[in-house]
Amino acid sequence: MTDKSHSPPPPTKISVRDMNFYYGKFQALKQINLEIPEHCVTAFIGPSGCGKSTLLRTFNRMFELYPDQRAEGSILLDGENLLDSKQDVALLRARVGMVFQKPTPFPMSIFDNIAFGVNLFENLSRIEMEERVEWALKKAALWNEVKDKLTQSGTSLSGGQQQRLCIARGVAIKPEVLLLDEPCSALDPISTARIEELIAELKKDYTVIIVTHNMQQAARCSDYTAYMYLGDLVEFGKTEQMFLKPTKVETEDYITGRFG
Amino acid sequence: MNPSASLPDARNNARIARFNRRKRFNQAAIALSLVAMLFGMFWLSWILWETLRLGFGSISVAMLTQDTPPPNDPIGEGGLANAMMGSLMMVALATLIGTPIGILTGVYLAEYDPRGKVAMIVRFVNDLLLSAPSIIIGLFVYVIMVVQFKAFSGWAGAVALALIVIPVVIRTTENMLMLIPAGLREAAYALGTPKWKVITRITLTAARAGVLTGILLAVARISGETAPLLFTALNNQFWKANLDGPTANLPVTILQFAMSPYENWQQLAWGGVFLITLAVLGLNILARVLSREK
Amino acid sequence: MNDKHLSSQFDSDLNDVCSRLMEMGGLVEAQLQRSVSALEKYSLDIIEEVIRVEEKVDALEVEIDHELTAVIARRQPAARDLRLLLAISKITTNLERTGDEAHKIAKRVRSIMKRDGARNIPISDLRVASDLAVNLIQRALDAFVRLDVAAAIDVFKEDDLIDREFKGFTRKLITYMMEDPRTISSSLDLLSIAKAVERVGDHAKNIAEFIIYIVKGTDVRHSSLAHIESVVE
Repeated sequence: MTDKSHSPPPPTKISVRDMNFYYGKFQALKQINLEIPEHCVTAFIGPSGCGKSTLLRTFNRMFELYPDQRAEGSILLDGENLLDSKQDVALLRARVGMVFQKPTPFPMSIFDNIAFGVNLFENLSRIEMEERVEWALKKAALWNEVKDKLTQSGTSLSGGQQQRLCIARGVAIKPEVLLLDEPCSALDPISTARIEELIAELKKDYTVIIVTHNMQQAARCSDYTAYMYLGDLVEFGKTEQMFLKPTKVETEDYITGRFG
Repeated sequence: MNPSASLPDARNNARIARFNRRKRFNQAAIALSLVAMLFGMFWLSWILWETLRLGFGSISVAMLTQDTPPPNDPIGEGGLANAMMGSLMMVALATLIGTPIGILTGVYLAEYDPRGKVAMIVRFVNDLLLSAPSIIIGLFVYVIMVVQFKAFSGWAGAVALALIVIPVVIRTTENMLMLIPAGLREAAYALGTPKWKVITRITLTAARAGVLTGILLAVARISGETAPLLFTALNNQFWKANLDGPTANLPVTILQFAMSPYENWQQLAWGGVFLITLAVLGLNILARVLSREK
Repeated sequence: MNDKHLSSQFDSDLNDVCSRLMEMGGLVEAQLQRSVSALEKYSLDIIEEVIRVEEKVDALEVEIDHELTAVIARRQPAARDLRLLLAISKITTNLERTGDEAHKIAKRVRSIMKRDGARNIPISDLRVASDLAVNLIQRALDAFVRLDVAAAIDVFKEDDLIDREFKGFTRKLITYMMEDPRTISSSLDLLSIAKAVERVGDHAKNIAEFIIYIVKGTDVRHSSLAHIESVVE
């Protein structure tokens, strides 16, 4: 029950500084300041509408798809402000991959699903591409299940397999950061366990940020946890500490199910 | 019987009565809709039956290979070859013109500016066009082409048919693209995919079956349209493989022959009706198959 | 802080475990009180009673542990709830041991009575210490019910008094044994009793530590009073 040794914190990968976010006139995020450590899993938790997904979607500027959404302040990725208008969005998204709540296989073969993203940024020979696809599918722990049916449509897979295909697709372009937006909410417990296992594996190479409704999932697979409420970042800390003794009463109420 | 037991009994009886009432109501509603369906089916099957009965008899090699005959020729001489050729050419050209315009507009409406002012206006105009009587479209093309060039032509006919294809294709393309889950689009953008590639490789591909179905339905629709051709392509009794000048076509030929007092013409009109019905049926079945293959 | 969970079933589960714990606390308290009065009155009846209750206390410990496991398995408690359940588990262990000590005292009193040899040894110091111990256990349990950190710290402080009494009594026993070797075996019994009383004080102190853990989330075992007070601040 004692506090673990105070090892130095890992270096910061993403640093959010005084960030405000608006949907039209509605302010969805208020003065967010956050340092996301490299090669760790950071979880965003909080009740629906607290802004956790919104925050996640600022890291790859996904919000720009919708004209009335805008972010103010700065988000530094390795020290560079990714909200800067000079930042190339395509290159940013190559560095910051994303996996969504519902599996979203593209309407093409399993092989092409993965090759599609790689082709956007690299010119690989057929053999190199085959190697890359195999590598990505192995990373996503899907290779053994699909190696004999790479030409089949991606939509023919089961839900859990589709989600791992999406992770493989994200991993294939070798990003530095992987954003997971409730990646298990549409999956059964076994598929969920597989993906959580995968997350633990992925953090060796990537900085992983996961949004989840499932507090136990945050407790199981994250190193750091941020609790958000009504657009405020209420508390951020080591997951162990957040689930054993959070410093804020609001966090404790939420985590122990006394909320509301 | 003591009161404590009778109360639940009374409640139970009321419940059963209500259940029975609902059951009767349900049966009555089912019976009514069955009658309505049978009423519709009756006329439809009658039409189909007459078409088959009268049309099938007039199908012959001559009908498919010979051109339209003069009136009062013996039955079995002459055919609809020139009308079929003209119809095929005009429908093909109309589809060729209408489909790209329709798809591009649909893509604009769904992908580029779904909530913009331009889109609102385009959508409104498109709805008007979609429900405009086809004779008005025929008159319009008559004014801008036939009057302008002082000649009826198959080109004008094709343009008039294209004007009918466009709104149908726009509407189906837009709707099919709107049905693509936002997640798929976002996932494609999240990889850093440029917009044109997201549209061509992801969303249009995913909506392919639906868009194709829309095109087929549009083709089916124009292959039976008479009104727009009356003022544009007019008709012709000779075979030709171009669209210059008045061009023979099935719908107008049918109209003309069916209204005539000559028996051989009437016979051929039924044959034409049969051919068009067959083509529309085939296109509809194809559309069904395509949309199921999703 | 909000006291109620969204799930009222969770609340009632936690309440059940807590009231079980208080039941067990009450039993142990009574057991301890009886063994202390057995020591004062040298009454065999009371001793039998103490030994009988012992079984009940053991059964309750098993039962509470079982309930705890069930709550943890079904609710995946976190933070305050998790600390509460962990602390309850530790507190039951301490209560069970306290019961053991009471049992031990009763048995030693019985062996003194059989030998009938210690009546001439004055045990007033021991009485002071044992009353203190009973009182400390009571106060520790009260502090748990109210999750009262200040009361827990008082328990912590007063355990030192028992330790002092224990040392004084031990010194006295040694002088008695040196003066009259016939009292040696009874004195050794009394020494065991004193040791048991001293252990009861330690258990009360442990319980107090877990109360601080529940409320403050800091583990204060094996740390100085000054440190604990700084934590509570």
